[in-house]
Amino acid sequence: MSLLCTGTSYLYGGNNDTIRTRRWDKRVHQRFEGWERLKPTHIKMQYAGGMGVVSVGAGWDYGKRRQWETDMFVGYLPARYAKTFKLTFTLKQNYIPWSMSFNERWALEPFYCGLYFTTIAGEDFWGKEPGRYPNHYYNFSTKMRPYIFIGQRVNLNIGHKTVRNVTAFYEISSCELYIISKITNKYLTLKDILRFSFGLKVQLFK
Amino acid sequence: MRDLTKHLFITLLCTIPFVCGCDMIEYHPYDLDIEGECDMNSRNIARIEASLAGRDEISFIVISDTQRWYDETEDAVEYINSRDDVDFVVHTGDLSDFGLKLEFEKQRDILNTLNVPYVALLGNHDCLATGKDVYNRIFGPENFAFTAGKVRFVCLNTNALEFDYSEAVPDLAYLENELDNLPEGIEKTVVAMHAGPYSEQFNNNIARVFQAYIKRFPDLQFCIYGHGHTTRIDDYFEDGILYYQCTCAHKRGLLHFTINSNEYTYEAIDY
Repeated sequence: MSLLCTGTSYLYGGNNDTIRTRRWDKRVHQRFEGWERLKPTHIKMQYAGGMGVVSVGAGWDYGKRRQWETDMFVGYLPARYAKTFKLTFTLKQNYIPWSMSFNERWALEPFYCGLYFTTIAGEDFWGKEPGRYPNHYYNFSTKMRPYIFIGQRVNLNIGHKTVRNVTAFYEISSCELYIISKITNKYLTLKDILRFSFGLKVQLFK
Repeated sequence: MRDLTKHLFITLLCTIPFVCGCDMIEYHPYDLDIEGECDMNSRNIARIEASLAGRDEISFIVISDTQRWYDETEDAVEYINSRDDVDFVVHTGDLSDFGLKLEFEKQRDILNTLNVPYVALLGNHDCLATGKDVYNRIFGPENFAFTAGKVRFVCLNTNALEFDYSEAVPDLAYLENELDNLPEGIEKTVVAMHAGPYSEQFNNNIARVFQAYIKRFPDLQFCIYGHGHTTRIDDYFEDGILYYQCTCAHKRGLLHFTINSNEYTYEAIDY
């Protein structure tokens, strides 16, 4: 990626911070001031990925190139895929190191990665073992699953006053229980433990 | 050039997931969106009962606690397939470690490569989260019975700790119903379970009641169980009914039994 970092001119972000430009990377962080910093900078929708069938959420971007995003999701698992309808809650951290602008409208984020923690509601699941068990009987949580992921995104600038741009993404993820199962077993293939998810992000306001 | 790169990337973006297939899309690791065959126990029981009908001697293997030991489970299957004197296999529970749907599917896929039919019992790990629901769909009810030759096999859920006294475990009403409706021609009985009496999972307050119930079955030979991850034999109730505990897949051990009209034999085998 060194090619992308050869620019020498400087861009000015919303707060007059200077950052070195990359010839292809046109991202600049547009900061809110004061209380407006609490406003989510984007909303997202994700399909699959161990967070239910569909999850919707909002999040904030930050970093000089908006390379960090933190999102919160609520997802649902309909009764068709569980005994009863279930809700999931997810906290997700994304790191998007690079963006390649093709023109005013299109940009590609060729690689991004991150992790998320997802919990599921329902009495079948526990975070800590119920008191009936001897201490350290199972030693894991059935409620909280950490995932790691990598993915790619394409970004379309719309330039509308409220809807600034729309990003489509997909991710390949796996949770910790799948990974430790794979580590000790040749039988399991990567296909057994990796999962695809898809989503949309809508950048708002700035 | 840029346009070409753009189109290439976008095409790549759109096609990769579809090439890899739908089984890589998962809504939740504990969902009930099961892939592949279900109801394995009743299908396999039909095969066992048909192939052994009227036989005086039967030969079967017990495996247990194969959770998260897929490679070892494959080796067990390979060993069993290398023998030609085995009629069927009884897995005494703990197919999964975390109760994940994936674990049940993968264990089923490995066990399906057996040349002989098998049945699988519910273990305590199989009850975690939605595990029991997955087990019920892939394998069947947690209490079941079948006839091999002239021997009745009664397979029971004994993981009382998992159910926190909200369900009858072991289910004495099920045993009574079985006793009242025994098929004709049953001469002997074997009882299989996951957690044996006096383990922390068992409802030990009724251990002796349980024993009294199972001894009402015709000529109870012995009991088989797992959970302890070691091979051992106990006469828990000092009444001559031996409890054979099968070790776990990690220790690469299994039990082989034969039962004929006069006697039974057993051997503990390392594979």
